[in-house]
Amino acid sequence: MRAYVTGSGQFLPGEPVSNAAMVDYIGRLSPQAERLGRLTLRRNGIRSRHYAMRSDGTTDWTLAKLGAAALDDLFGRSGLDRREVGYLATATTQNDLMVPGLASGLHAASGLPPLEIASLQSVCASAMMALKSAALQVSAGEHAAALAVGAEFSSRYFRPGHYHGTAAMNTDGTLPGDAEFLRWTLSDGAAGVLVEDSPAPHGLSLRIDWISLRSFADRFAPCMTGGGVADGQGGLIPWSHFPTIAEAAQAGAFQLRQDVEALHRMLPVWLGELMRLVDEGRVDPTGVDHFLCHFSARSLRDEMVAQARKAGCLIPEERWFTNLYEKGNVGAASLFLLLDDLLRSGQLTAGQKVLCAVPESGQCVMAYAMMTVVDGEEA
Amino acid sequence: MTEVLKATHLESAHRGLARVWIEFESGLAQVPVIARLLSGRLRIEDYRSLLFNLRQQVVDGGRWISRAASHLEHEELRSLFIRHAAAEHRDYSMLEDNYVAAGGKREAIRGGVKNIGSEALSAFMFHAASQANPVGMLGAMFVIEGLGNRMAGPWAEAIRAQLALGEDAVSFLAYHGENDEDHLAMFDRALAMVVTDAVTATSVVRHARIVARLYRLQLEELDNV
Repeated sequence: MRAYVTGSGQFLPGEPVSNAAMVDYIGRLSPQAERLGRLTLRRNGIRSRHYAMRSDGTTDWTLAKLGAAALDDLFGRSGLDRREVGYLATATTQNDLMVPGLASGLHAASGLPPLEIASLQSVCASAMMALKSAALQVSAGEHAAALAVGAEFSSRYFRPGHYHGTAAMNTDGTLPGDAEFLRWTLSDGAAGVLVEDSPAPHGLSLRIDWISLRSFADRFAPCMTGGGVADGQGGLIPWSHFPTIAEAAQAGAFQLRQDVEALHRMLPVWLGELMRLVDEGRVDPTGVDHFLCHFSARSLRDEMVAQARKAGCLIPEERWFTNLYEKGNVGAASLFLLLDDLLRSGQLTAGQKVLCAVPESGQCVMAYAMMTVVDGEEA
Repeated sequence: MTEVLKATHLESAHRGLARVWIEFESGLAQVPVIARLLSGRLRIEDYRSLLFNLRQQVVDGGRWISRAASHLEHEELRSLFIRHAAAEHRDYSMLEDNYVAAGGKREAIRGGVKNIGSEALSAFMFHAASQANPVGMLGAMFVIEGLGNRMAGPWAEAIRAQLALGEDAVSFLAYHGENDEDHLAMFDRALAMVVTDAVTATSVVRHARIVARLYRLQLEELDNV
């Protein structure tokens, strides 16, 4: 592959919101719900995040605008003019509109010229899908410069008005764990990278060595879902199969849910992918200088850490690079937030290896990417 | 340098076994009876059939382990296999008790024959155990012990919850869920003892891969005799 990350940018709306203040943004359901929230926060370790929603529940933002703000940051620091870009790939969990895709919305908001687009919709791993498509487009010679952008605006789904009057809401004002968990986990923002066919002439770039993404939906049922209701037989009824929209909404079809227990069953599969890459000689765990992982080290159970250590696959925690605790879990934007923060960190030197890991609980996806730091002036 | 190489072979064996296990465990969700169990749709007939089919293979457990023991050169490993055989060779009677507690007839389960998957699994175990110095059998033990340690406990709980059964109907699974953890620690020590070269590492992982596939076949072929 001949593709380089030569620039990056991010946009996080508003001021950081602390754990104590976050309930004002996602809204109060009940004291019991907030207790579960505090428990979730203790587990995920997030201390602050950003919301595109004001505390009164109004907003001026859309995903497209958040993405465009991230691109403004990117081009404000890049040597490339945005008119030179030939390809835009976007990643998100739920677009502003069901139709058309986010890439169209972002293109319209971004000041980019007519160009090729692709809208990748999944959960967190859609970021890696977008990055891989951009890297392959550039590597194939189809475009000299491409963008991969991830954006999320989850808080708008978490307002009490989206739960009141639906079957999901218990009479005591609590939600089932699978619906409540995500309210305390996800937050808003956008970030992206510029991918070119040669390193930036000045400063450090990241050569993309390879990207590996695999789905395990052949063996996992949907785990993080939106737009459906459990049918009681292990399946989901899509919202559009209800006789009326009102009935679908009443049944809770439009709520985001995360089966936390199923997520824990996926962890070994995600680790197994790393073992595969080690066996194939693509990853040397001792040779990784920066491990950008879209989940926290503390979410791994001791048993998994022990297993990774025995198998020679444990990347020492001091090489984990994370911004999760300050910037929150921003889903499909997280990979790009990590890359942007790493590129700005001053911790990079030419020749270092950067391993990125993006798991997706949706229906079990695991993606890894290896990059090498290169100095444009030497290349 | 030799110690470093040994550590590399051991890590490679652990990695191979972990990958076999992950593929096995996650793939079990595609087996109809396990899919029903995981999604809360298990019927009592399913559970009785599971017990009935497992019993016909588990009854051979003590025999293949002791046959392997008799062919092992490594004294510590032989000792481990002998202890293991002694501990497990009457487990099948728990399956019979559970079957009766779940509404089955003792004569029926005792008079049953192996399904075609159990035939393949059992045949491989005896074949592999009959080879000279069959250290690869550690891989077979890894899969069987892993089932007990990692799956049996949660399965026992889910079965009880879905079918409203008493403890006396799930004791085989519950017992293995509680007791196989020590066995796995013992397994790690045994693996470290014997995996000192690439050939052994490969052999252990290969045995695990075969046993994992045949165990799944046994579950796929419930009642297909």
